[in-house]
Amino acid sequence: MGPSGSEAERRSLLVEEAGLSRWLRDGMCIALGGLATACHAMIAVRHIVRLGLRDLTVVGSAVGGLDVDLLIGAGCVRKVICPYVGAEALASIGPFYRAAAERGEIEVWECDEGQYYAGLQAAGQMLPFMPTRGGVGTSYPDVNSDLKLFPDPLRGETLVAVPAIAPDVALLHAAQADAYGNVQFVGTGYADRLLWRAADRTLVQVEKVVSNEEIRRAPERTALLAHGVLRAPFGAHPFSSPGFYLEDRAHIGELVEAGRALARRGDRGPFERYLDRYVRGPADHVAYLEAVGLRRLLALGEY
Amino acid sequence: MDAPSVKELMATFIARDITDGEEVFVGTNLPVIRAGALLAHLHHGPSMRVMVAHTRTNLHRTPVMEYFELLTDWRGARWAEAYFNDNEIVMYQKSRRDSVFFVGALQIDPFGNSNLIGLGRDPRRLTLRGPGAIATTTNASYVRRFYLFVNEHSPRVFVPRCDFVSTVGWGEGGADARRRLGLPGGGPRYCLTPLAVLDFEETSKRLRLHSVHPGVTVDEVKARTGFELLVPDRVPVTGFPDDDELDILRRRVDPQGLLRR
Repeated sequence: MGPSGSEAERRSLLVEEAGLSRWLRDGMCIALGGLATACHAMIAVRHIVRLGLRDLTVVGSAVGGLDVDLLIGAGCVRKVICPYVGAEALASIGPFYRAAAERGEIEVWECDEGQYYAGLQAAGQMLPFMPTRGGVGTSYPDVNSDLKLFPDPLRGETLVAVPAIAPDVALLHAAQADAYGNVQFVGTGYADRLLWRAADRTLVQVEKVVSNEEIRRAPERTALLAHGVLRAPFGAHPFSSPGFYLEDRAHIGELVEAGRALARRGDRGPFERYLDRYVRGPADHVAYLEAVGLRRLLALGEY
Repeated sequence: MDAPSVKELMATFIARDITDGEEVFVGTNLPVIRAGALLAHLHHGPSMRVMVAHTRTNLHRTPVMEYFELLTDWRGARWAEAYFNDNEIVMYQKSRRDSVFFVGALQIDPFGNSNLIGLGRDPRRLTLRGPGAIATTTNASYVRRFYLFVNEHSPRVFVPRCDFVSTVGWGEGGADARRRLGLPGGGPRYCLTPLAVLDFEETSKRLRLHSVHPGVTVDEVKARTGFELLVPDRVPVTGFPDDDELDILRRRVDPQGLLRR
């Protein structure tokens, strides 16, 4: 109770979609959560393209998805930090990623998952680097000059020093949160907790915003504490969201084909049409979902 | 029943090499490896740790698990007993010392070192950008043993020297090669290809022909390997599944017939 007898209100962390702009700027280091074809923060990703941000360093997830590929295709990315960009069976490698990397248009910070996670762990623990053994005897220290072989000062063994990977902001997608940033997943949450620990700030899109009472029914499920929460039904589309919907394979196929047209034939037309239809055309997330269509969305159920 | 396909032979080879109690990941987009792991589990490995979609599962009494094409398909966790974050699985290797693992490759050298980074000389201008190592670099450093696996057996895959090495096999060669590098894991045991199974000669740790698949000749394998492959006096044909194994494969592991396409 304050001296006047009035109690201060607890601060809501709910963010409006238009307010995302305040979280994002050119040249930032942005971490994108989820894994492979699941749970990428696609409202935020499309917002970045709409803003026309440039020179981003993108820390994709450990099995980075086509969320990263879309940003590369749209010209937002200068550097990619993650061991993979693609969609497994739907695209063994992201077409924009492959083309831009082979042409030298983006810098790829070469690493495997162990090194990638070590860098994030170092950031979360506010350490300059983390040692790994994975990478000893390989080309990684040759192809990534940030990875340094060094003798363990205690036992003399040769190890790899991985510098801290410290995103300015982590953009995640989860099942639910309350207005105070208590985030709960359905499923494992991949490595989203680690991205939260490593980043300066974390914004989480959620399928639904729930009451604090609902969160307190199972507080052990609260995985991380967000700095901002965005209400985002179908917000991972065209990727899957555990407990809510599967990936939209037809839509992902459209994006992949647009990427391949550019990579293989130098034809940017299909991707420009994709951007017009789904990214730059729709003014906001609801307009995007309308462009995708209700019938398509409701056909994505898990069971 | 139809004669087993080469892919069914490879799955059977993998399954027979996995011991009950070991941990194995049921990968996605790799139907032969998935089938090998599940066949081991259903045939002789009821106490294996079978990992599906970041969960520990036990399918021993489950008649059929659907085929999930994608790593993150949460429906695969219906049989879950425990779940793990992706980063925990990669970072905490101590609890995985009884794990076996599979490594794909764009290139493999005579000592089983392999490359998923890409092809070319200048790492900033690769002529072919590979998929990347995913977690193979770290996992192959620690796991009990691993298997190399390629979908093409040709001189452009089996090369005298990889353009880049993303996963260490037997390094510069010799049985102590990995110990000298400080890598605690057991290293590669076999290399499976569409033509043959290769192993590693005990002293030099150079790749050696172990068995040829039905209809493949030793000379063909030698000609399609871009370095001198060690060849023993007698090379058997890769073993066939017995009736029990083939029944489990076709009825419970792969009813959709992916291994027969």
